Amino acid sequence: MSDADFDDREFHPRGTVLIVTLFVLLLIVLWGSVYVILLARGTTL
Amino acid sequence: MLATYELTTGQKRFIWHHLLVAMVALAIGTLFGPLQAFEHSGLDLYKYLDPVIKSYYQGLTLHGVLNALIWTTFFITGFITLTTIKGLNRPLSHPKLNQTGFWMMVVGLLTAAVPILLDQATVLYTFYPPLQASWAFYVGLTLVVVGSWVEGWGFYLTFYQWRKENPGVRSPFITFAGLVTMVLWQFATLGVAVEILTMLLPAALGLIEGTDPELARTYFWFTGHPLVYFWLLPAYISWYGMLPKQAGGKLFSDSLARLAFWLFLLLSVPVGFHHQFVDPGIPQTWKAIHAILTFGVFFPSMMTAFTVIASLEYAGRKRGGTGLVGWIRALPWNDPSVASQLLAGILFIFGGIGGLTNASYEVNAVIHNTTWVPGHFHLTVASAVTLSFMGISYWLVPHLKGKKLYSAKLGVIQAWTWFIGMLIFSNAMHVLGLLGAPRRTPLGEALYVPAEWEGHLLRVAIGGAILFVSAILYFWNIYKTVRNPETAEVEVPIAESREDPQNTPAWLDSWKPWLIATVLLIIVGYGPQLYFMIRDISLTSPGLRLW
Amino acid sequence: MSEKLHIDKYEKNWMLISITILIVFAVAVLVAGFALGFQLPGVSDRVDPRTVSQAGPFADPGLREVSPGHYEAYIVARAWSFVPREIEVPVGSTVTFYITSTDVQHGFKLQNTNVNVMVVPGQVSTLSHTFDDSGSYDFVCTEYCGSGHAAMFGTLTVVP
Repeated sequence: MSDADFDDREFHPRGTVLIVTLFVLLLIVLWGSVYVILLARGTTL
Repeated sequence: MLATYELTTGQKRFIWHHLLVAMVALAIGTLFGPLQAFEHSGLDLYKYLDPVIKSYYQGLTLHGVLNALIWTTFFITGFITLTTIKGLNRPLSHPKLNQTGFWMMVVGLLTAAVPILLDQATVLYTFYPPLQASWAFYVGLTLVVVGSWVEGWGFYLTFYQWRKENPGVRSPFITFAGLVTMVLWQFATLGVAVEILTMLLPAALGLIEGTDPELARTYFWFTGHPLVYFWLLPAYISWYGMLPKQAGGKLFSDSLARLAFWLFLLLSVPVGFHHQFVDPGIPQTWKAIHAILTFGVFFPSMMTAFTVIASLEYAGRKRGGTGLVGWIRALPWNDPSVASQLLAGILFIFGGIGGLTNASYEVNAVIHNTTWVPGHFHLTVASAVTLSFMGISYWLVPHLKGKKLYSAKLGVIQAWTWFIGMLIFSNAMHVLGLLGAPRRTPLGEALYVPAEWEGHLLRVAIGGAILFVSAILYFWNIYKTVRNPETAEVEVPIAESREDPQNTPAWLDSWKPWLIATVLLIIVGYGPQLYFMIRDISLTSPGLRLW
Repeated sequence: MSEKLHIDKYEKNWMLISITILIVFAVAVLVAGFALGFQLPGVSDRVDPRTVSQAGPFADPGLREVSPGHYEAYIVARAWSFVPREIEVPVGSTVTFYITSTDVQHGFKLQNTNVNVMVVPGQVSTLSHTFDDSGSYDFVCTEYCGSGHAAMFGTLTVVP
């Protein structure tokens, strides 16, 4: 597809959806791993 | 709206002066980065700097103040001068006011620099009392902040005049976003202004016998978190309002870009207790409320991620990129300004994840005051912000000086070396933090360092060395550009929006409701606790100089 | 001109997902903090840092057994050491830490636990921890407190 064929109205950010989905997975894994470290280190009450 | 107004030589020079101060500060501040990184791996170069620089901590103070406070503030006020003029297509309405503000900042910088260089203000860039610096340090910082306020007033007045002549017209996005950034800054800095003027400066002058350190921390962090948005939003202005144009596309959504900026204004102040999660003297309930509000301010960044990536995808497809990921390759990676900002954005993904972790109430106890924290903010202020600003300067310096960029290729290499150096450095810092290494500590001389830290400390040094090389490449390129015999007319890239901004709802271009809501939320979020802390103030901590 | 905000459907879904994730994380955090005992320090006593080591519990810092298996550890942080520097408790003990500073701000991070607090002059920082495993745990000053900061640490030993 060249510039001339590019149709603004037909543009759907599917690649963006893929990237932000990967971002969410990464967020869950990395955040979750610190949360697990918290749980493993014991309570503070 | 088309940007037709061309900056005069005088305006260009004025903005260039901001950048010049900013870049000199960054150049000096960056010198100390590798010294700290090498120290961690056991190579202490500070001892060779005596008697000029007395200690690791003096170097760290210079690194923090010059890079995080001076480089940012000067670059940002200069950049927003540009977005105000170019967006509104008119000169500043009160240029003398802005010049006054700028010179106040310069005088402030020099006033603060003297005690820092004389080892009279080795209090790091958080200057927590009762560690007490020379009075000149506090006066200097105050002047820098007040000078930036004065410049901000100049922007507001310019906008006010434009608005009177253009009722009902949507304000240009880059101008709007720059103004939000300055307004946010003025709300934010009230905290540190009160801290300095009611406690730190009077104590340093001997007018009061001591400070209340917990109250001081609370004032400081009132400023401290929105401060990071003051740094970040100009990068967002570029990502939303300029990068799409540079990449060959358009802004995906003008409305949502504005909504994100309003949410940042609204939510960035009443979140400061998330820096004080492990402090005594602050109720757990307020800490939890600020944790939730911090989760709230994460939301506009997630919106930004989508809108900016979608704008880039739009550009990539327009350039002929196809498939789910093919558009990424089609982006102009050989443009150093684009490459810098794309890589800055990638690093910011990790910065954002770490930031949400920091904000997660008790999860913060895992990493509080460990090397995780500087690892985190090197991904934010030193990458998302600084690498983006470097990227901006690859067109802004040529624009202001009328010179051709010395080497685009060198610029691309610089962006990649920053990216790689920062990945190594910040990953090692995050891991060390999880293992318990304290931040802002010369770990090379600490006696409690277990063997399992050592490999990571070495990676800190390697990352720091790569970053230092990258910084040299940057300054060399800028220097050669300024001295370049080859002239060039470089335009300010201003992205169009896919939708006509005039179709953006009026409530997204109306200041009053958002300002009122911001003030109310600050009062709700800070009022009660600050009231009790001020009521129970006890100035029982005399200032000390322990370095 | 429309007052209605138009949002692309993909972006709208993304915003909903973002909000959902943030709510899930917030619930996980609040449950751990307020129901499962992973709590942060809150408001404790206020003291005068100039006189705190002359009278009261901080005049004689150290470990006290309040009931079988339950201890209180009063710790004074000052430039650049913790008093006491060495603490020893039997395995299975629950220790409540009371920490204050007589000079500048310090930090107290007990490695491999969630006991990680700021130590601020004028305030007492309080947290508890139960030691289920024997071994030695360093406590490290995590806030810059002057030129000897890197030397400031102590050790808590949990004996079988």
